Amino acid sequence: MIRAVSWFCADHHGVFVPGGRSWQKPSPKLSVAADILALVGRPVNYYPRMTTEARHCLCAASMALAATPWRASGNPEIGLLCGGSDGCLAANQEYFRDYVASGRSLGRGNLFIYTLPTSVLGEVAIVLSLAGPCLFIHDETRPLSALARHAREFVVDGEANAMLALWSDTSAAVCLAVDGGGDDSAWLSKELSPLQWAGEFQGLVQSRAPA
Amino acid sequence: MNVVIAQSDVATAYGWGLDALWNGLLSNRTAIRSTDRFAQRGFLSNQAAIVPGLEVSPQESRALAMLKRLLFPLIGKLDPKTPLILATTVGEIEYVEWAILNHRPDLALQSRPQVLLGRIKHLLGLVGPATVISSACASSAIALARAAAAIRRGDAKKVLVVTCDSISEFVYSGFSTLLSLCDEPARPFDAERSGLTLGEAAAWALLESNDSPDDRAMSILGWGNTTDAVHMTAPDRNARGLSRAIAKACSMAGRTAGEISFIAAHGTATMYSDAMELLAFSAATAAPKPIFSVKGGIGHTLASAGLVQILIAGRAMSLGLVPPTVGLAVPDPAAAAWVHNTPVDLGRAPLALSTSSGFGGVNTAVLLGGAEQS
Repeated sequence: MIRAVSWFCADHHGVFVPGGRSWQKPSPKLSVAADILALVGRPVNYYPRMTTEARHCLCAASMALAATPWRASGNPEIGLLCGGSDGCLAANQEYFRDYVASGRSLGRGNLFIYTLPTSVLGEVAIVLSLAGPCLFIHDETRPLSALARHAREFVVDGEANAMLALWSDTSAAVCLAVDGGGDDSAWLSKELSPLQWAGEFQGLVQSRAPA
Repeated sequence: MNVVIAQSDVATAYGWGLDALWNGLLSNRTAIRSTDRFAQRGFLSNQAAIVPGLEVSPQESRALAMLKRLLFPLIGKLDPKTPLILATTVGEIEYVEWAILNHRPDLALQSRPQVLLGRIKHLLGLVGPATVISSACASSAIALARAAAAIRRGDAKKVLVVTCDSISEFVYSGFSTLLSLCDEPARPFDAERSGLTLGEAAAWALLESNDSPDDRAMSILGWGNTTDAVHMTAPDRNARGLSRAIAKACSMAGRTAGEISFIAAHGTATMYSDAMELLAFSAATAAPKPIFSVKGGIGHTLASAGLVQILIAGRAMSLGLVPPTVGLAVPDPAAAAWVHNTPVDLGRAPLALSTSSGFGGVNTAVLLGGAEQS
């Protein structure tokens, strides 16, 4: 069951809670450490080295987690899942381009550690203390609903109490907070980019806001 | 429901097939060699475990070349609707290298793991569900667990798990940058260990449900996946993440860690990772169990490492014989009662544990059983 949906992009961010309190705001500049601290609510030790995508994902995951009752109900084991058609392609190109420009003898460790599709999740897990399964899944069916289905399976299979499922690229991140119960992900079956999904969710929140 | 590995195959630096890998480990001679592939680059090491006899066409990745040869016997043999899971860290990473070195940015898109997934589907004529799973160096172990979960759930009768990672300048330079590479063949659990050696491998496993009591195949009994949530590249020195993964695997299987016959360890030969594993093992079991690492023989094969060591564990269970840890000279004092540089004949070995860990603090433990002794 999808408990909350959050998103973060350069222009706006917010949370949609089915049947609950939803909100959206203009986005702060994530180049300012104080802004990310205000959003995440926890210290972010390696903030300067984090890529833009990692910052977007961290903010989206923090907002989704805060919109759930999971932590209040005894800190259950929460896992992390991510998808996205490009994986970590941008980070891979950045690392190798820098390595070649430096004479092909020594790369930069701070770039290399982001050259896995799960690198971003590693940062999110550390900051939010998430200790469940952590993996990248690319499902050929692509839509966000497939990611929600995979996340739900981890809960149904007893591998985690709950899962955060991130769908991101360099322009935006969206996050689904999923726990047990029925599969209610059909409304996420459109094939949209993370930025397009962010726009969809913003519109959803705006349409439900009191006049 | 009992899920078994019904068929499998593997290619490593020892050669093609499980027999080559098993015999290579038992020979106690490493397949790690000096390589001149990156001779001009000034990396920390020139050691690597490279799959022999591989013919790679121009503009073809080593990963695909390995898989084309390894998967050839499966062509036309599978139900086209068989679900496929590909486990890889970063797909065909050479395309990123070629894109940047040749100023051909269009090539980079071909490095994405789903492109390799599509190539495997095309090669095997598969039209069923297909998924890429990446979880650093635990990728193939977690892929195996997802495949078993899908069968137990009743979503599939069979699932094909394919894994591959190759040695590239991209990966080699990165590990060199992180000061992780050893300038001699890796020596897991040795007192003088000083880092890992990169290796390449490809493997596949066809999983299916099988409740036949006289079956000789290896069963996937339980698994646990956790995250340390401590550090991006270093393990939790208290081993809490791996300890929880082991506990979850045992709980799912309805077994206790004390029943484990032996352990196929991740055993990278890095100082902290090996120490972390030993801590987790000693916390899990009251008495030491024989453990082995394949990485002194075939290097660290990244995404493929988990499945490769699970296939070796299957052979070890069927023979009741635990292979030696190649490269081990003087065990780390904490490992002395656990690790061996000669084969350990257990007679019976009905229950095995395989562990994998990786960047981002990921841990996977898989409990294996059911392989009868021959």
